[in-house]
Amino acid sequence: MGDPDDELLSRVARGDPAASRALVARKLPRLLSLAGRMLGDGAEAEDVAQEAFLRVWKQAPRWRPGAARFDTWLHRVALNLCYDRLRRRRETAYAEPPERPDEGPAPDRGLQALDTGRRVEAALMSLPDRQREAIVLCHYQELGNIEAAAVMGVTVEALESLLGRGRRALRAALVDLKEA
Amino acid sequence: MTPKRFETLAEAFGGDVARWPDADREAAATVMAAEPAWAQRVLALAGDLDAALAASTPLRGAGDLADRIAATAPAARPRWAGWLLPAGMGAGLAAACAAGVMLGAQLGAAPTAVDDPDALVAAADDDFSLYLDEEAG
Repeated sequence: MGDPDDELLSRVARGDPAASRALVARKLPRLLSLAGRMLGDGAEAEDVAQEAFLRVWKQAPRWRPGAARFDTWLHRVALNLCYDRLRRRRETAYAEPPERPDEGPAPDRGLQALDTGRRVEAALMSLPDRQREAIVLCHYQELGNIEAAAVMGVTVEALESLLGRGRRALRAALVDLKEA
Repeated sequence: MTPKRFETLAEAFGGDVARWPDADREAAATVMAAEPAWAQRVLALAGDLDAALAASTPLRGAGDLADRIAATAPAARPRWAGWLLPAGMGAGLAAACAAGVMLGAQLGAAPTAVDDPDALVAAADDDFSLYLDEEAG
């Protein structure tokens, strides 16, 4: 089965503005969903989406139909951009430690007041990056296990392990939601 | 499929078997038929977390974000560029080389032709080939 994005990409490569708009309309919601959940920051997610499309415009003239699925490639590009930002955050946090001691995560402090969606997002952000990535790709982006593993550069077994550990941690963090 | 494997898959992929890996669904159906009550409990537990995850709504972005991004797409080159650039590139590069050789002979150091549009196009192509190695390799 051919890649559903191939035809649009070839028109983008020819400089067709309608095709560029159509590609943005088709892919932007998925990019924002991916980057928003990986970064937990709307403004940064928008920046990632813009940077990812700059790479799309450069890649379109060289895209080889059949070599890879465009959606898979785009997920990998966006994730690389997200990881760049997560790395910079860690470096900044390391270079500029907080003046007050970090009181650490505490599910009962503050989080309880947030609505369910915000609590889920906070719980997602508390996961190790690779566990969060696995859950975002499989649950929210609805990639199949083989495609998600390819995007992450891991085996399907490793993906399954990341998903299982991530979901167990989320269940523990959100255990009171069922009872509420 | 063992019951343990069924639980592992529910833990990883959630309570909706339709979202499990293709290769495992048929065997999962067999387990569900053999132990329906137990299987439903396992799936319901996983489904609770699925329902919680669904409470996180996707980011929508600023209203004009799509327009701003689409505006960054390169426009089509004018028709004349299709034949002018390839024809001009060879001549331009030859001229740039000749000028460089002459200047180098005169001054001992060849300057860079930064204002030569053909040279700029060639430089952009070089930059792009580096990008492809990084991103698409």
